[in-house]
Amino acid sequence: MTTTSIVLDLAVGSRLDLADAYEIATAARDAGVTAIRLLDGAADEVLDPTAVAAYLAGRIPELRWIVEAPTTHNAPYNLARRVLSLDRATAGRSGLALRTGGGDEVSDAVIPDREATAPERRWAEYARVLTGLWESFPAPALLGDQAAGVFADTDLIKPIGHEGSFYRIAGPLDGPSSAQGRPVLVADARDELDWADAATLADVLVVPGEQLQVAAARLAAVLEPVGRRREEVALLGRVDLTGSAFAPWTADELADWATSHALDGFELVIDGNRQEILALLRALGPWTRPAPEATLRTALGLPALVGVPV
Amino acid sequence: MSRQLHLNVNILNAGVFGGSWRFPGTDPLASYTVEHYIAIAKKAEAAKLDAVFLADGPVIEPLVRHRPGNNLEPTTVLARIAGQTERIGLIGTLSSSYNDPVELARRVADLDYLSGGRVGWNVVTTAGAAAARNFGRAEEPEHALRYQRAARFTREVTVLWDERRNLVSAQGRPVVVQAGGSSDGRRLASQVGEVIFSADQDLEHARAFRAEIRSGTREFGRRPEDVVVLPGLSTVLGSTEEEARRRREILDEVLPDAYARRRLAGQLGFSLDGLPDDEPIPRELLVEPDAAGGSQTFYRVVKAIIDRENPTLGQLLRKLSGGGGHRIVVGTPEQIADDIQRWFEAGAADGFNVMPDVLPSGFDDFADHLVPELRRRGLFRREYEEITLRDRLGLDVPGRPRAPYLAAAPAASR
Repeated sequence: MTTTSIVLDLAVGSRLDLADAYEIATAARDAGVTAIRLLDGAADEVLDPTAVAAYLAGRIPELRWIVEAPTTHNAPYNLARRVLSLDRATAGRSGLALRTGGGDEVSDAVIPDREATAPERRWAEYARVLTGLWESFPAPALLGDQAAGVFADTDLIKPIGHEGSFYRIAGPLDGPSSAQGRPVLVADARDELDWADAATLADVLVVPGEQLQVAAARLAAVLEPVGRRREEVALLGRVDLTGSAFAPWTADELADWATSHALDGFELVIDGNRQEILALLRALGPWTRPAPEATLRTALGLPALVGVPV
Repeated sequence: MSRQLHLNVNILNAGVFGGSWRFPGTDPLASYTVEHYIAIAKKAEAAKLDAVFLADGPVIEPLVRHRPGNNLEPTTVLARIAGQTERIGLIGTLSSSYNDPVELARRVADLDYLSGGRVGWNVVTTAGAAAARNFGRAEEPEHALRYQRAARFTREVTVLWDERRNLVSAQGRPVVVQAGGSSDGRRLASQVGEVIFSADQDLEHARAFRAEIRSGTREFGRRPEDVVVLPGLSTVLGSTEEEARRRREILDEVLPDAYARRRLAGQLGFSLDGLPDDEPIPRELLVEPDAAGGSQTFYRVVKAIIDRENPTLGQLLRKLSGGGGHRIVVGTPEQIADDIQRWFEAGAADGFNVMPDVLPSGFDDFADHLVPELRRRGLFRREYEEITLRDRLGLDVPGRPRAPYLAAAPAASR
């Protein structure tokens, strides 16, 4: 990978309203930020990230979005649909940071294995279902052949027939794959994750500050047995700047830091108000801006998905 | 001011007919892009419609080989539209059987907040085994159970909305829309529905339906005017009668044959294989609507046509034309305005959920030619007056004192 990716965290709701979010996101686009990660949080405090992303995406079409959602309260079919809809509506500029958690009311009522509870096992099964569903209706199946009266080639659209410990999901999804194949899947190492699962399933792994020193080596060690190359997973360091009056590094220093830790970029966290976040973006200085038409996958420097026609 | 119509446009992908996507001059794949929905919503806002309406189910359209299906998740599309419009109402369909009430309540209320109080939630129970299999179930829950859950679920969601203290929209909470025409569905409508999206072919029947829903509200401590009844109306418009009739004929010609039969079989719940086109469907195959398993609303509509007209299978397929079983009107703007006015003034409807024959062209004609005709007759607004969807529909805001009781419109008391 040649560029250092920058993802900026935002929690839009009572502390940071929509107008603030719009202003910050516009400044982030102009500063060359790769993507905004919309954080989830308590209802009544943080607005649903998929709704916020869809709302803002229409106003800032060049920007990219990572929406955060936990397994809790989200049936996989519904979340898969919602995020793919967003990804299609943003021309392949969206991803999902799937967080570990519990189940949802609809799936729990018919859970195949009543003993299954481990959040990291649920995460892995959930992530498998998502990627399976996202690829179940390949875009080339959409024909729209008016003369022949064939709208879609249903031979290409296949159920996933998932039978796991937590979920049973037939599929396929109702909409075709997106411009980047499927939404980017982000694993967050603050969650109790099995790294081998994350390395197998995720496109991006975000590691917290205290794990930065060892993250690259640890990722390399788990990638090899699952047969993936290092460049297939973007490794981002999570840097909490809350309370900093200004950015402690320039863009060049961040890039050097990424190189020395074998990171592909950073996720910047600042639990502050509009002024503080805008000041941080200014202080970072100009960043190498991704090509405006780049999908999220491309902007993160990830290779095209193998076997997923777009 | 005299009573005014409420009009929504149901953006049913490429249009309500099975062959809409093949209509000459139509981009067959447009309804698989979000831009299609945004452009129609902007047009609807320019025409001062009440709202856009998105049908939905968490399942792939089983007949996608032959026609487009609903393919973008509604809250995502509506949030996008909210960011690019100011006033148009935003009604999305979300299943009560296959959503977690806590998550749905939060997401729909958030959408309502970010749209400035323009959102409605259309509660559906979602028929069919295919959807059930996407949520760990082998078969759909039995009809009455689906509706019991829907009532419980809707109550839980509205309680969560009322408990919300932060990020509350200007309309207090989203409008609850409900569509079921079954007896279970009608009871749910009286209990929780604020807008009723019904399916009716016949004016007298529609008038009785509206009266039943309105009087049924009292049992649940509500008032008849707390409910707005909007039957579905499929429109085929032409600048002359001949042009409209020709448009209707083309829609028949482009209807994929295999689709029409399979669609009707799905609506009736039995196979039509081997049945000839030139004979009526054998009566012994048709059970009573309350015993039908899938969507009782459409079973009821189709059975009523059979009972009334005894058409051959071929005639029935052409009459339905791959549509949902909603009433189809064909004619000039003046003729369709006459029909709308008749239903409205007879107390059969408070307005309509309009399902254009082809999208976007059929809706462009509706907005450019039919809406002005309705305005000339004093039946439809020229400008938006209210900000929120709830206010536009004349519905109470929960927690806000009710306006003094006003006598119901003359049509309603006849």
